[in-house]
Amino acid sequence: MKKIPERKTISDEDTELITAINSGQKSLFYDLVKKYEQKLYNFGLRMCNEKRDAEDMVQDTFLNVYRYLSEFRYEASFKNWLYRIASSACIKRRRRSKFAPEKEISLEDFIPENKENIPDSLPPWASEPLEKVLNAELSDNIQKSILSLPEKYRIVLVLRDVEGFDTEETAQILNIKPASVKVRLHRARLFLKEKLRDYFEHDR
Amino acid sequence: MTDKKHDHQKCLSLFKKLSEYLDNELDDKTCEEIRHHMEECIRCKVCLETLKRTVELCRNIKTAGIPDSLKERLKLMVYDP
Repeated sequence: MKKIPERKTISDEDTELITAINSGQKSLFYDLVKKYEQKLYNFGLRMCNEKRDAEDMVQDTFLNVYRYLSEFRYEASFKNWLYRIASSACIKRRRRSKFAPEKEISLEDFIPENKENIPDSLPPWASEPLEKVLNAELSDNIQKSILSLPEKYRIVLVLRDVEGFDTEETAQILNIKPASVKVRLHRARLFLKEKLRDYFEHDR
Repeated sequence: MTDKKHDHQKCLSLFKKLSEYLDNELDDKTCEEIRHHMEECIRCKVCLETLKRTVELCRNIKTAGIPDSLKERLKLMVYDP
C-alpha cells in the first residue's frame, strides 16, 4: 500500500505560545497581539491610504486569527500565516475603496531609450551613506510612492522589501508563484527608483 | 545603455535580472556575467546601484507607533469580547 507522506510541520518562536492558547489559556492571546500589533499596523499603513483603514485592518486580522487559531496546523510559520490573513484583509478593504485603480506596470516603461536621459555617474543619493540620505521627509516621500503603486505590485514590494519576507514566503502568503513575485518585485522597485530620482532631481 | 564595447541588447537582457542579482537568486554564471558587464558599462552600474539604494531605503523607512486608541480596541477585543 502506498504510504501517504506526512505533512511537514514547523516549529518556531511562537509555537509554545500558540499551543498554550489552543489548550485553553485564552488570555495569552494578548501576548500574541502585543508582539505583532505594531508590525501589522505599519504593514497596514504601507498598504492602506487611510490610517483608519490600517487600524481596522489590524483589528480584522486579529479577530480572524482569534477565530481560526485552533485550526492553525504549523505548516507555515505563524508569522507567515498572520501576514496571509492581513494581506487578504488589505485586499478586501481596498476593493471597497476607490483608491489606486489596478493597472499593469510594464518593464518596457523603465528601459532608458534616450541616452541623454541616462546618468553616467552615480548620483549622491545612491553613493552617500544611507543615514545621511534617509530622513523623515524622504521616509514620507517613499511611503507616498509605495501607496501610489498598483496594489498587486505594492503588496509584493511591502512584503519583500519592507517586511523582509523572502521570495518563497511571499509567494506562500499571497498564494502566487515565486516567478510572479520576482516579476512584480522588479517592476515595483524600478517604479520606486524613478520616483526617488524625480524626488532628488526635481522635487526637493 | 552604453556607448561602446558591447551591444544594447546585452544591457537590456541584464536589466531584467537586476533585482534577482541583488537578491542573490541567480546562478553563479549569470552573476559573473553581470559583474563583468558592470565593470564595462557605467550606465548599467548606475542603474544597479540606484536600484540597490532604493531597496535599502525601503528596508529602513521610519515606522510609526501604534495609536493608543487601537491598542485599547485590541485589548478590549481580547479581554471583553
